[in-house]
Amino acid sequence: MALLEVRDVTSGYGELQILWGASLTVERGQLTALVGSNGVGKTTLLRTIVGQIKPWQGKVFFNGQDVSKLPSYKKAEMGIVMVPEGRQLFTGMTVQENLEMGATPKRARAKAAQNLEKVFTIFPRLKERATQKSGTMSGGEQQMLAVARGIMAEPEILMIDELSLGLAPVLTLDLFQSLRRLRNEGLTIMLVEQNVRMALKVSDYAFVLREGKNEIHGPSKEVEQNASVQAAYLGI
Amino acid sequence: MIDQLLASVTDGMLVGVVYGLAAMGLTLIFGVMNVINLAHGPIMALGMFTVYLAYTSLGLNPFLGLLLAAGLGLILGVIIYWGAVHRVIDAPHLSSLLSTFSVNMIIIGIGTAIFSTSFRNVDYSLGIVTIGPITVPGTRFTSALLALGITGLLYLFLYRTRPGKYVRAVSDNRTSAGLMGIASNRVLALSFGLGTMLAALAGGLIAMALPFTILSGGSYELKSFVIVVLGGLGNPIGALLGGVILGLIEGLVPVFTKITWVPVIEFVLFVLILLVRPQGLFGAKQ
Ligand SMILES: Nc1ncnc2c1ncn2[C@@H]1O[C@H](COP(=O)(O)OP(=O)(O)O)[C@@H](O)[C@H]1O
Ligand SMILES: [Mg+2]
Repeated sequence: MALLEVRDVTSGYGELQILWGASLTVERGQLTALVGSNGVGKTTLLRTIVGQIKPWQGKVFFNGQDVSKLPSYKKAEMGIVMVPEGRQLFTGMTVQENLEMGATPKRARAKAAQNLEKVFTIFPRLKERATQKSGTMSGGEQQMLAVARGIMAEPEILMIDELSLGLAPVLTLDLFQSLRRLRNEGLTIMLVEQNVRMALKVSDYAFVLREGKNEIHGPSKEVEQNASVQAAYLGI
Repeated sequence: MIDQLLASVTDGMLVGVVYGLAAMGLTLIFGVMNVINLAHGPIMALGMFTVYLAYTSLGLNPFLGLLLAAGLGLILGVIIYWGAVHRVIDAPHLSSLLSTFSVNMIIIGIGTAIFSTSFRNVDYSLGIVTIGPITVPGTRFTSALLALGITGLLYLFLYRTRPGKYVRAVSDNRTSAGLMGIASNRVLALSFGLGTMLAALAGGLIAMALPFTILSGGSYELKSFVIVVLGGLGNPIGALLGGVILGLIEGLVPVFTKITWVPVIEFVLFVLILLVRPQGLFGAKQ
């Protein structure tokens, strides 16, 4: 059974429909990518999965359980954790406090000390900046903190929206490698990216979203070779 | 003259920190949820009556009566949040203004029916405190110390405890708080309760110094608005400093001119700050 299954979800904002029957599955232990052009509805799909907006139709299953209607804080409690687009840190709080707030779910509270150790090992920069207000850090450091805060929540699945947005290529590469390492340690990750090339390189499996629906999906290696994907996103 | 000035300054500062405590309640709620609580004054009045009734009918020391006022303020705030604020929290400001104004009218209506609008006072004394050339009533001195102590406790709560950090997190970014598993609605209810608790406590402290009616909250609510604008909306320490400034104006103006000028000067200051430095004298929440 897949860890996360999204089945024929439609959703949007007010009268405006964005998702027109999106489906995807995320297998435990894999790094799954969700790619597509700007404005196609990737963030909207993530928001629907975490419960910030409710699906109009269709369902979201987590560990086989229907979680379509749960609010986001309950989903975080279950282990569905999102690192939102644009980081959305607690900018007036310190790095340390942001990480503490990450460790809010009961399941995360018990492992807080251990996870803190872990994120400081992955991102030593955060340890140096522990007492700094998060809003005063550079974009790259803020992105590290956003991911680290997500890890502190002890996720079953960590969904990261636009990891690479606004970051220098070197730093992006670094962060992607960190994700790969986390995946190898057993974390299930869903990566949402506009940077299709990078996302396909780093992921195991990929879904391509177009016009609010999934168009193509498969192992990332195969999606990368797909002629229409190459034409539309990879400029080949 | 010097002695009189010194006495006025001291008196103004002592009263000012209590005003500051009340304003802190208003500014805390605004800082966390962008709601201006128009039931602030009546809740201060309920704090006054709690201390008064506990003293006159139960014989409870007014300073112990404050504990009752605090409890009532907290519980009432949580109830008001769920009943009147929760549903309009993301609506335009006018909705929450109207909604808390209705709560204001309800409390005043019921309060007037029960207590009438006649004056009460808490006839309690702690003697006189002498500091150098200055003498001040003991209750006033103790009240000011308590107001400072409560401010300290508020800061300890917000910066050193987990629930306190939740309040700051929800205030900072409510969406992210939800993503991290924080039940924002409950935190908002708690924050509202803390704000009204501070209002009730300040009311209780004022009741020991001055006579009051169930309608007295209104004028203190106005003072809280002036203070909050002075100190910067959403900034609790700014509120405390703003309170001291207001207290000093009230203490010093009568030394030089008629006491009736006090509100004029206060509101001219209010308008000036709004025009010249809308973020308040001491900065504010960005
Ligand atoms: N809060 C919102 N209200 C209304 N429309 C929105 C909102 N957020 C996003 N949209 C619209 O939904 C569409 C999909 O956006 P989004 O899901 O952010 O796309 P992506 O993440 O794939 O770039 C866009 O046209 C965007 O303008
Ligand atoms: Mg997006």
